[in-house]
Amino acid sequence: MDFEFTQDQLSLRDAVARWVEKGFGFERRHALAKAGGATRAVYGELAELGLAGLAVPEAHGGLGFGPVEAMVVMEELGRGLVNAPYAPGALVAPALLAAAPPALQAAWLPKIADASALVVLAHQEPRSRYRLNHVETTARAGAGGGHVLSGRKIVVPAGDEADAFIVPARLAGAVDDEAGIGLFLVERKNAQVRGYPTHDGARAADVVLNDSPGTLIAAEGFAAMEAAVDVGIAAQCAEAVGLMDQYLRITVDYMNTRKQFGVPIASFQALRHRIADIKMQVELGRSMSYFASLTLGRERAQRRRAISQTRVQLGQSMRFVGQQCTQLHGGIGVTDEYLGSHYFKRLTVLETSFGDTLHHLGEVSARMQDTAGVFA
Amino acid sequence: MDLNFTAEELEFRSGIRQWVAENLPKDISDKVHQAQRLSRDDLQRWAKILGKKGWLGWGWPQAFGGPGWSAVQKHLFEEECALAGAPRVVPFGPVMVAPVIMAFGSPEQHKRFLPGIASGEVWWSQGYSEPGAGSDLAGLKTRAERRGDKYIVNGQKTWTTLGQYGEWIFCLVRTSTEGKPQTGISFLLIDMKSPGITVRPIIMLDGEHEVNEVFFDNVEVPAENLIGEENKGWTYAKHLLSHERTNIADVNRAKRELERLKRIAKAEGLWDDQRFRDQIALLEVDVVALEMMVLRVLSAEKSGKNSLDVAGLLKIRGSEIQQRYTELMMLAGGPATRAYVHEAMEAGWQGDHVGAAHSASLASHYFNYRKTTIYGGSNEVQRNIVAQTVLGS
Repeated sequence: MDFEFTQDQLSLRDAVARWVEKGFGFERRHALAKAGGATRAVYGELAELGLAGLAVPEAHGGLGFGPVEAMVVMEELGRGLVNAPYAPGALVAPALLAAAPPALQAAWLPKIADASALVVLAHQEPRSRYRLNHVETTARAGAGGGHVLSGRKIVVPAGDEADAFIVPARLAGAVDDEAGIGLFLVERKNAQVRGYPTHDGARAADVVLNDSPGTLIAAEGFAAMEAAVDVGIAAQCAEAVGLMDQYLRITVDYMNTRKQFGVPIASFQALRHRIADIKMQVELGRSMSYFASLTLGRERAQRRRAISQTRVQLGQSMRFVGQQCTQLHGGIGVTDEYLGSHYFKRLTVLETSFGDTLHHLGEVSARMQDTAGVFA
Repeated sequence: MDLNFTAEELEFRSGIRQWVAENLPKDISDKVHQAQRLSRDDLQRWAKILGKKGWLGWGWPQAFGGPGWSAVQKHLFEEECALAGAPRVVPFGPVMVAPVIMAFGSPEQHKRFLPGIASGEVWWSQGYSEPGAGSDLAGLKTRAERRGDKYIVNGQKTWTTLGQYGEWIFCLVRTSTEGKPQTGISFLLIDMKSPGITVRPIIMLDGEHEVNEVFFDNVEVPAENLIGEENKGWTYAKHLLSHERTNIADVNRAKRELERLKRIAKAEGLWDDQRFRDQIALLEVDVVALEMMVLRVLSAEKSGKNSLDVAGLLKIRGSEIQQRYTELMMLAGGPATRAYVHEAMEAGWQGDHVGAAHSASLASHYFNYRKTTIYGGSNEVQRNIVAQTVLGS
C-alpha cells in the first residue's frame, strides 16, 4: 500500500501545470467560453505535450500509461479549468477501441495518439438517462457487409468538433437488455450533428443517425462500454479533485484579502468552520478519487461498486465545495467575470455525465454486501 | 501508487488473524458483536491476554518491550482485533500515558510504570478535563504545590472515563500562574489510593456509569512522580495528542458496526426498503472514504514524509460516522428501541425482550455516542484547527 507518486508522475504533473500557467490563463479560458466553447485547438496543444496518446498503447504510437497517470493529468486539467475534451478523446475512446478488431485499432489509435482525430463516445439518448443498457438506437446489416445505424444520441462531448463517434446501437434484444448492444465507429460526415455550447464553457452536440454507415467494433459491446465509462468516471473524479482543490485555494486567498467590519473575513468563525467543512469534502473526494483509479483493474462487480461509491462521494463533495466556495465569495462569486463561478459551473456540470449522485447511490445500494471497505 | 498491502503485510495480517481467533474469549466477542454490556473483568481479561503476548502496547517500540511495528502493521493489528469483536483496549495506560513516560520520563520511571501498563495489571485513568476547563483545557486550575519532596494537590478533575476502576491517574496540574496559562502546567502521575482522593460517579444520559468526577483534597504526591520538568506538562500533553493519528478515526470498528447495522436491517425487514437501504449505502460510502483517508495517512507515515495533516479531519469524520451508525441502528430497531430495560443489555439475561433482543441496547448506544463529537477535542475545536491550517491565518 503506497500513495506516493513516482518521479515520472510528478514530472507529468509539472508539465501539465506549466502549460496551464503559461498558456491557459483565465482570460483565454473565458474568451474561449464566450466564443462558444470550441477547444479543438486547445486539445491540439495538449497533444503537443504528448498527452493525447497517454492511454494509447505504445504499439500504436502512444505512451501506454495507466490510470494513475491519467489521474495525475486530469487533476491538473481540473485545477487549470481546462475545457478541452481530454477525458472523452484521450482516455475513454482508447479504452473503447481496445475491444475493436486489430485493423480498426491500427486505423484509428495512431490518429488519436497525435490528436489528428478526435473520437468520442456518443451513448446518451433522450430516454436513457444514465442507464448504459438502455439503447434505442438500432443497427442492422447494410450493403457491402457493413452496418447502418439509426437513432439519436444527445449531449455528446465536443460532438461538433469530433471526427468520429463510438456509438452503442442495438443489434438484438429488448431496449434495456445488456446483451445485443453493438459498438460502432461512425464518422462525423455520416451523421447529422447539431452542436451547442454548454454551461461549463465547452461544447456538446446531438447526433442523429439515419441509416448512417458504421464500422463494427464489437457485436457484444456492453462490457467494453461499461469498462470505458468507468475509465471516464475515474477521470472525471480526478478532474473534480483538481477543480475543488483550486477553488478552495482561490477562496482561501479571497478570505484572507477581503475585509469587512475592518478585518479580513477569514477571521470570522462561522466562515472558518465552513472552510474546514470544505477541506473535509476535498480530502474525502481526493481519497475516493485514488480509490477509483486504483480499482479500475478489479473484476467487474468490485470495480463497478468502487466506481459508484466514488461517484457518490465526489457528487456530494462537488456539490458542497462548489456551492460553499461560491457562497464564501459573496456577490463577486456569482458574477461571470470572476473565475470562481466558472469552477462552480464545471463542478456542477460534471455531475450530469455518466450518472448523477442518486443514480450511483442506487448502484451502491444494489451492490452492497455483508461486509464493506476498501478491500471488500 | 498501489492500493494493495504487500505480501509481507498480508502475511503479518493472517498471523494476527489466527492469533486473535485462538485467543479472544468467545464470551467477550459475543458481547461485543451483540453490543452487550462489558464488565471491568471483560476488559481486563482481554488486556491481560494481549499483555502476556506483549501486544497490549502494540504501538510501543522494541526498546520498551513493544513489538516495534510499523504504522501499517499497527493498523492491521487494530483492524483484526476490531473485526473479530475484541473490546477496544482502554487506551489511558498503553496508548496515552505510556508514550509520554517513554519520551519524557526518567529511566527509574520507565522501570517503575511501564511493566504494569504493558501487562495490563495496572488500570490507568486520565485526569485532564475540569469543570472550568473543557475545550479550553489550558484554563485548568487543579493546583500542585511543591513542598519539599512532595506535591500537594488540590482541585477537581471530571469526565474521568472508567475512573471507578482506576489505580493510577495521570494528571495535568497547575504548578505556576506566571505567564501564559499553557506554561504553568505540569504532568503528574498520582496513585489513586492516596488519601484525599474521592471518585464520584457521573451517570450519563444512557443510565450508565462510564465517567466520574475525581476530587483532590490535599493529596500528597511524591515529587518523583513528576514527568519531565515542572511547567512543561502542556508540551508533553500535546505530544500525547499528536501520537495517535489514525486510531482516532476508528474506521475498523465502523466497518464492524456497519456489518451489524446490515444484520439488524435484514432482521427488521428493512433490507428491501429502498429508502432505508439507501441510507446504509450512504454510510457505506462514508466508511470507505474514511478508510481511504486513513490509508493515505498510513502511506504518508510509511514513506517518512508525513506530509498529510488530516488528523483533525479523521477525528471529525470518524466520530460523525460513529454517531450515524448508532442512529441508523436505532431507527432500524423501530418502536421496540423505546423500551429502557437496564438488565436487558447484560449477556445471558433471561427476561422477556421487548421486540428483538438486538433492540435492547440500540437507543442507549445512540444516546451514549453523542459523546464522540464532544470528547477528545470537540469537533468544533477540530474545525478551528483545520481552518487554521488551511487558511494559514
